[in-house]
Amino acid sequence: MAIGESKRRSPARLDASFVARWLRASAADIARNRDHLTQLDAAIGDADHGVNMDRGFAAVLSMVDSADGLTPGELLLQTGATLILRVGGAAGPLYGTAFRDAGMFLGDRSTFVLLDLVDALDAGLRGIIKLGAAEEGDKTIVDAWTPAVRALQRARSGEPARATRAARAAAEAGSVATTPMEAKKGRASYLGPRSVGHQDPGAVSTALLFAALDRAAR
Amino acid sequence: MTGASIQSVDRAARILKALAAGSPRLGVSELAERVGLAKTTVHGLLRTLERQDLVEQDAETGKYRLGPELLQLGNAFLDHHELRSRSLVWADTLAERVGEAVRVGVLYGRSVLVVHHVFRPDDSVQILEVGATLPWHTSALGKAHAAHLTPERRRTLLSGPLPRLTGRTLVDPHAIAIALEEVAQAGYATEDEEAVIGEGEIAAAVFDHGGHPVGAIGVVGPVERLQVAAPPEALLVALTDTARRLSWEMGARRGRRGAGIHRSVAPAARR
Repeated sequence: MAIGESKRRSPARLDASFVARWLRASAADIARNRDHLTQLDAAIGDADHGVNMDRGFAAVLSMVDSADGLTPGELLLQTGATLILRVGGAAGPLYGTAFRDAGMFLGDRSTFVLLDLVDALDAGLRGIIKLGAAEEGDKTIVDAWTPAVRALQRARSGEPARATRAARAAAEAGSVATTPMEAKKGRASYLGPRSVGHQDPGAVSTALLFAALDRAAR
Repeated sequence: MTGASIQSVDRAARILKALAAGSPRLGVSELAERVGLAKTTVHGLLRTLERQDLVEQDAETGKYRLGPELLQLGNAFLDHHELRSRSLVWADTLAERVGEAVRVGVLYGRSVLVVHHVFRPDDSVQILEVGATLPWHTSALGKAHAAHLTPERRRTLLSGPLPRLTGRTLVDPHAIAIALEEVAQAGYATEDEEAVIGEGEIAAAVFDHGGHPVGAIGVVGPVERLQVAAPPEALLVALTDTARRLSWEMGARRGRRGAGIHRSVAPAARR
């Protein structure tokens, strides 16, 4: 139970079924929050984030259902390709790149440990930052994804479920913290000071993905 | 040197700008701190601005916010903007013709101000971008306008700060200078996810009677549809055709520059 204890045990192995559970839980959460995401986006965007993400993750879900014998890395690569193709807008390329880069990091290994998951999600974050050039504080996906990776890194030597719980809370807090920010990247930045007071829909969907990751780890 | 009365105008302007940036309501002390003036001075300025309806005080909190008269001033600016007024009909027609959103922008300082925006004609929810300012080098409107400026003004633009908005934003002055040469050659400018991921824009400059650029009109939309790297010919023809007609309305003489895409495209053959 204690962290010191888990260190002495051999670390828990994660596999393709863990990744599949994460993707299924993500699709369910996105579908459940479709209207909420769209409402958030209506305030500072095109009011299509919920619809676009739901369309993309519905496609991911059917990919997972028909994926037989894919490695964890291949599942994430396929997810990335599906999101780029099906989501559109800024979210498609950004999330697509994140999953693709995370998948490339995992390569073709059939199982992996928490440390690999942390590094894979960090690789995904770096993909988002490279494409979008956003920093923390710009009111984007990065504001939820960065604290989540940081929380994972702090908890990387413990139980996966403990680490993902911390990441979930950090992503949630990060998404809440976008409300008072003025958007510096993306179309919301056209609004300038008028973007203040609205939660960033991308940061909220990122928080959903980390909540789903936590459920998959339990 | 600045006289007392001019100094107070400057201070009043700074107060309005402070209220426009960031938090929508500010108290006298917060404002005094932001503009670096004594509280009594700020209070006096606020009362004067309030009498002109340029600021208003929140009855409950006593804090100040921008006043309704500013909307009138902003609207008057747009109403009196010649390029905007003349582009209203042309922009609508162009949006219909290509099935995408259309923006008209003008270079002011180092930014493009969007003075007109026609939504993509598909009934989807879109936000009005009139009044938005974009760093000039991240926008096809800005590049189209800048490409036709004098070499000296282009150099000034290229030597200033060139912020990065996405991983694709061009931030190397030499690369941008080459891009501007290409824009001047081709008769249109493109922007490929350089301002917003997933979005692109194709724009052409509009000229006045002296052959000087006064702004640009552009088609903006999802990169997968616009194919910014090699735009559909029908779109290019519709865009440059519109820019040329708009230029004529602005007094540009026929047959001068801005006369369309300088490639093997016969605009008449298309419609």
